[in-house]
Amino acid sequence: MCPKVEAGNTKEVLLNPLVVSRNENEQVLIESSINSVRVSIKIKQADDIERILAHQFTRFLMLRAESFIILRRVPIKGYDISFLITNFHTEQMYKHKLVDFIIEFMEEVDKEISEMKLSLNARARIVAETYLSQFV
Amino acid sequence: MILLEPNSYVLEETLLARFNSEKHEVVDITLVDFDNVIYHVQTQAEQRNLLTLGVEMKYFNEVVQYGANEILQREYGPYLSSSASGQYQITLEFNLDSLPEDKAGLAKHVSMLKRNVLASPFVRAFEYWESQQEGAGPLMATHYREDEAIYVQAQQDRVTVIFSTLFREEVDRVLGRVFLQEFVDARRQASIQNAPQVFYSSREAPLEIRHLPGLKQDESVGYVSFVLFPRHFADADVREKTISQIQLFRDYLHYHIKCAKAYMHSRMRTRVTSFLKVINRAKPDRTTATSEKRTATGRYFRPQFRQASASPQLGGESEW
Repeated sequence: MCPKVEAGNTKEVLLNPLVVSRNENEQVLIESSINSVRVSIKIKQADDIERILAHQFTRFLMLRAESFIILRRVPIKGYDISFLITNFHTEQMYKHKLVDFIIEFMEEVDKEISEMKLSLNARARIVAETYLSQFV
Repeated sequence: MILLEPNSYVLEETLLARFNSEKHEVVDITLVDFDNVIYHVQTQAEQRNLLTLGVEMKYFNEVVQYGANEILQREYGPYLSSSASGQYQITLEFNLDSLPEDKAGLAKHVSMLKRNVLASPFVRAFEYWESQQEGAGPLMATHYREDEAIYVQAQQDRVTVIFSTLFREEVDRVLGRVFLQEFVDARRQASIQNAPQVFYSSREAPLEIRHLPGLKQDESVGYVSFVLFPRHFADADVREKTISQIQLFRDYLHYHIKCAKAYMHSRMRTRVTSFLKVINRAKPDRTTATSEKRTATGRYFRPQFRQASASPQLGGESEW
């Protein structure tokens, strides 16, 4: 049976979608149905650098969607990354660990992006200073 | 390795290997350098002691106006071959039987060829400054890459060098902006107060070159101006160093943008591995579940719900 949340052709099997929102740039959309759940995450992107980093990072993950099992290859519109958990996943895997994964992902992704941004800025500063200090 | 060398290391190595080899073997090697410069090291089959170095440099005709030929004559006079053939703008010829004592020095000197040729507009500008003429000198443009150029202009009290930079990709553009902004801000540091002043503007060309036709004006272009003061070029040694440094600006910038990308890539890889570990924890561990368990009497213990899948011959031994 296909995941009903993806098919979306039978209104009766869909539950009310839920948005958890910190602000308009950071949101999680949870859509559920009788046999599947779709969790979509909008990652914080304050400026151009964060936008590029978030885009690269999510793309990098989604290219490896096969190994992540519950990761969707394409995010749904308006979000950066989506997970699709079907009844088969919950039957074969521990549900609480799947929840752990999604929570850990949300915690880490912001941290990773801001760390990458910091290291980029630090690198740029060192590069510029080294170049300019060559001129006596 | 943060800084780049002004000479071409691979050209130096190749030449030195040829200079030092006892036997003159036939070679035909093509090497590349920054800014689409191509070197072609070659010996003829019949005259093995003659080694020719052809240099393909698209912007050579432009720098000839700024005195590149005089520089070539001064630096490489004895080796310069007049028979400029086809695609090569510069041809040097070495007789392997009559090389000077200092072969390593010669190889090093030849590997600086691109630097010396590209130095000509800078040398011209510094000479103009020395002549103490009134008003600004001529604006010298070198289109050293497709769509990118260096503009050099001498003024009475300074020399302005403007690079037009082009970023084809959006990621590069964003990273490039971060780096260039740091170049502008770095001068606030007390230790590098003596560095040339750097200005950066995207889209809008600086006033010195705004009158030029055919300037691209969109998101992808930016202009970086360096203002060199007399302390950067009054002394002869410092002048040579400044020229080597400033020429490499674009290569240096792009090299470090690539390094930053490579670093981010390796970071993302590590992060993906750690995420994979987390998701794998959600999979029930099958290896321990299938291992056989025995009771105290030495019989096999098998939980009831797994009996259907157990193999028939072992099933007989189970407790049930």
